[in-house]
Amino acid sequence: MRIERMGREPEFSQYMDLKEGWLDRRIFSDAEIYEEELYRIFARSWLFVAHESQLPKAGDFLTTHMGEDGVIVARQPDGSIKVFLNSCPHRGNKVCFADAGNTRRFVCNYHGWAFDTGGELKGMHEEYCYDEIDIDRKKNGLKQVARVAGYKGLVFATFAEDGPSLDAWLGDFRWYLDMLLDNEDGGTELIGGCIKSVINANWKFGVENFIGDAYHAGWTHDSGCRSMNNGEPFPPVDMENSYHASVNGHGWEFGTEGVGDLFLLGRPKVMEYYERIRPKMAQRLGEMRSQIFGSVASASIFPNVSFLPGISTFRQWQPKGPMEFELKTWVIVNKSMPDDIKDEITKGVMQTFGPGGTFEMDDGENWSNCTTVNRGVVTRHERLHYRCGISRQIEHDTLPGIVYRGQYNDANQRGFYQRWLDMMEADKLDAMPERPEPRLTGVSETRDVPGLFAL
Amino acid sequence: MLEMNPAPVLVEDMIALTQRLYHEARLLDAERFEDWLELLCDDVTYRMDLKRRRFRADRSPPAAVGAGVVFNENIARLKLRIDRLRSGYVWAEDPPNFVRRVISNVEIEPADAENEVIVHSVIVIHRNRIDGLARQFTAGRTDRWRHGTQGWCLAARDIALDHAVLPDSNINVFF
Ligand code: FES
Ligand SMILES: [Fe+2]
Repeated sequence: MRIERMGREPEFSQYMDLKEGWLDRRIFSDAEIYEEELYRIFARSWLFVAHESQLPKAGDFLTTHMGEDGVIVARQPDGSIKVFLNSCPHRGNKVCFADAGNTRRFVCNYHGWAFDTGGELKGMHEEYCYDEIDIDRKKNGLKQVARVAGYKGLVFATFAEDGPSLDAWLGDFRWYLDMLLDNEDGGTELIGGCIKSVINANWKFGVENFIGDAYHAGWTHDSGCRSMNNGEPFPPVDMENSYHASVNGHGWEFGTEGVGDLFLLGRPKVMEYYERIRPKMAQRLGEMRSQIFGSVASASIFPNVSFLPGISTFRQWQPKGPMEFELKTWVIVNKSMPDDIKDEITKGVMQTFGPGGTFEMDDGENWSNCTTVNRGVVTRHERLHYRCGISRQIEHDTLPGIVYRGQYNDANQRGFYQRWLDMMEADKLDAMPERPEPRLTGVSETRDVPGLFAL
Repeated sequence: MLEMNPAPVLVEDMIALTQRLYHEARLLDAERFEDWLELLCDDVTYRMDLKRRRFRADRSPPAAVGAGVVFNENIARLKLRIDRLRSGYVWAEDPPNFVRRVISNVEIEPADAENEVIVHSVIVIHRNRIDGLARQFTAGRTDRWRHGTQGWCLAARDIALDHAVLPDSNINVFF
């Protein structure tokens, strides 16, 4: 399957110079560029569609979007997961309107065509009206995505038949992801349901905020921090021992102090819990990763998933036009945690990064106004400054990826837009450059890696 | 309980409680949060659960652990929110939002405890934000009000928000 938009071959490189450190504002508001993003990025990337824990049994399903394409994600009787378009091949009606649940079949509201949980057409209302030659049921099921794959509980799907495997797509970023997904035996789960909210902003502002913008926290979230911290503002960051790391457009910014994000969650019991498991985490993932975990940190997976390791909010920015996205948020915890710790984390997340949370409520306004000012035709042609820390790249023995020193940095954001540009310009995904050359090629499990790269 | 024949409530209570709800709304609209706190019992609970759209026929149980809540607050947590709003560092609300609450469908029924009643009501919140755009929230509320020496105070509020997708980037507003 190759899905392409006809007729327009714009030069996307005109919209940025990442060596100089600037972006053109039109990528945040222009309707044509947005349309191209849907084709070139969302119809070709590996996109997060579910966490395994959301679909424990056969017949469990949820509905979500890949770009603006609605899909159903369903657990099959054989345990596998299928992802198919949530649109009926008859007249196109949306087939499933529930957010999630358990079912044996999906029946379209319009003429009653019925599909099994694998998306196959099983029957039609008043079937006698179709002669044998009218319809081949095998060919009239719900359209399947090209590929589905998982990484440690996260399920991804892509409409692209070509291009990298999920492992290659995540590349060395798996080394970082494992701090979230594999810091304890048993892996993770999403709990507490999904909260959706709509924000009048370009989707990239959410992603870039989490990928590297530690800088905004001390100012934007000043009131939130002071209310959680006896009137004290955020402490200054340690620019020597904090980093940005970027891999193929994914990014993780982090300190190494080990407690910052855990503290912001505002739940002492959770902090104690992690302190208790930290030595085990060090055995499991190595000294360095056990120090990073819990630090002030934030991360995004290209193109549209973000999370705060330690604070446990996990989220996806679903594009809904150039100036709107839907934010979906979940709480991610380790499966093996005792129930009271899971409960504490859920409360903490809601109170900090839920839609009524002391931190969350400061962000939306900023992203929305960064976007909507571009309605002004003069304003939208102005450049934006992305040069912070431009000369601070380092080589690090332990840390994979393109690494910059200093948590206050635009480095991961530049890495994200570099990948954005790579995808917007690449005709063949296989031809896209790896950024950087991977260290972990052939490594299927990063838990084995501490021995290789230990401090 | 048979909905058709609710136990009678006193007209005075009906008037006093309806007035309380209106008064509360006016205090909040005017950002008189400290005055609002005076209307709350010390053991108040204030919560908004998360709902999701499921098929009517779907009988599978909702997740047991960490069931989703948007608010699950006690008096200390509510104070913390107010401290934050009062801190002078909330850039997203400066200049302040215009907020107006409309309260309706007030219905009162007896509670288990003798000095308490259940009060149902509907709230519509209009909010005009710094970007100049207006948003609206609609919710049903089920309250428990307790009568003490200070008159009626709010002991519990359960808010059922009627939006599958929140129509705004946050719900930093008291319901
Ligand atoms: S559109 Fe689905 S059955 Fe006709
Ligand atoms: Fe933020």
